[in-house]
Amino acid sequence: MDELELLKKDWQKKDDDYPKLSYNDIYKMILKKSSSIVKWIFIISLLEFAFWSLISILLKDSESMKRFQEYDADYILIPLAVVSYVILAYFFYLFFMNYRKISVTDSAKVLMENILKTRRTVKQYVAFNLIFLVLSVIVVLFIEFDKDQTLINQAQLAAANGEAFKFYASIIIATFLLLALALGVLLLFYWLVYGILLKRLNKNYRELKKLDM
Amino acid sequence: MTKDLEHNFVELLEKHQNIVHKVCRLYTNNYDAHNDLFQEITIQLWKAYPKFRGDAKFSTWMYRVGLNTAITLYRKSKRTINTQEFDNVKFKISAEEYDDTEEQQLKLLYKAVHELNDIEKALVFLYLEDKNYKEISETLGISEVNARVKMNRIKTKLKTILNP
Repeated sequence: MDELELLKKDWQKKDDDYPKLSYNDIYKMILKKSSSIVKWIFIISLLEFAFWSLISILLKDSESMKRFQEYDADYILIPLAVVSYVILAYFFYLFFMNYRKISVTDSAKVLMENILKTRRTVKQYVAFNLIFLVLSVIVVLFIEFDKDQTLINQAQLAAANGEAFKFYASIIIATFLLLALALGVLLLFYWLVYGILLKRLNKNYRELKKLDM
Repeated sequence: MTKDLEHNFVELLEKHQNIVHKVCRLYTNNYDAHNDLFQEITIQLWKAYPKFRGDAKFSTWMYRVGLNTAITLYRKSKRTINTQEFDNVKFKISAEEYDDTEEQQLKLLYKAVHELNDIEKALVFLYLEDKNYKEISETLGISEVNARVKMNRIKTKLKTILNP
């Protein structure tokens, strides 16, 4: 006999072997909180949106930004701020729409796809922020070189000593090293959090996709 | 109204609880993990229940939610790691001591099924529950042909495990 048929025969006659939970046992269970990965993804995503919004608010109130306002750089700072808010709203909307689509009564494949899509929205938002961060730093650097009197004086002094290249290079390299460090820490964090959370889902999704190839 | 809904749900689940126990049996290997997964499936069923329409059978609907929870939503809780396994006896049976009784074969088969991956387990589970390939393919979201092909591969895999 086919091995699985043997197993099936046994499997189906074992109905009395399972624990019998009472009405009250089950009732107590429905009052408890879920700890599913969807819930975690939702919480972590909200934290990510909050984190990046907070960063932009903190940056706006910072001392250097106040100094910046004296430079008449509004023509560039205001459009940057508007773009960042519009994009935040867009991603937030997308995130919610995707999140609402997640339904445990879909087929396994569709469910996995919807979870991954929700996740991807947040990932794109974070990627956008990282790119935005790098671009902002470049813009700020240009404005500083153009308007900051101390920096201009130092640059002139360096130029007089024939060290202009060294001067600019050291500032640019220092800025990019700091940026790279910040990005590295963030990426490590993401890799850890989502690596742990989505490991099993990704594995099972790959397996399902492989079946349909 | 909510009370009615709660009552109906708990009554239905109490009646059909074996389906959830069976999913837990396949996807966990100790008592704590079994309870943990049972709890999560119950919560997911309850959360989805308001949208449950009578046109599908409650049990059919449970298969889908139960399996989805086991293979996609469930996070193994930490406390399940250190507890005693149900069946920690490794069935390393050498040729001379191998007793070819049905009981032995079944033990080996259950053991082998436990070693399949999550998706293969889902296929086997639905097969053991006498679901046809149409239902299996719809539950997993793959084509019927591919479900059949995969099932045949699993059969061969199990055969090889039993008769190395």
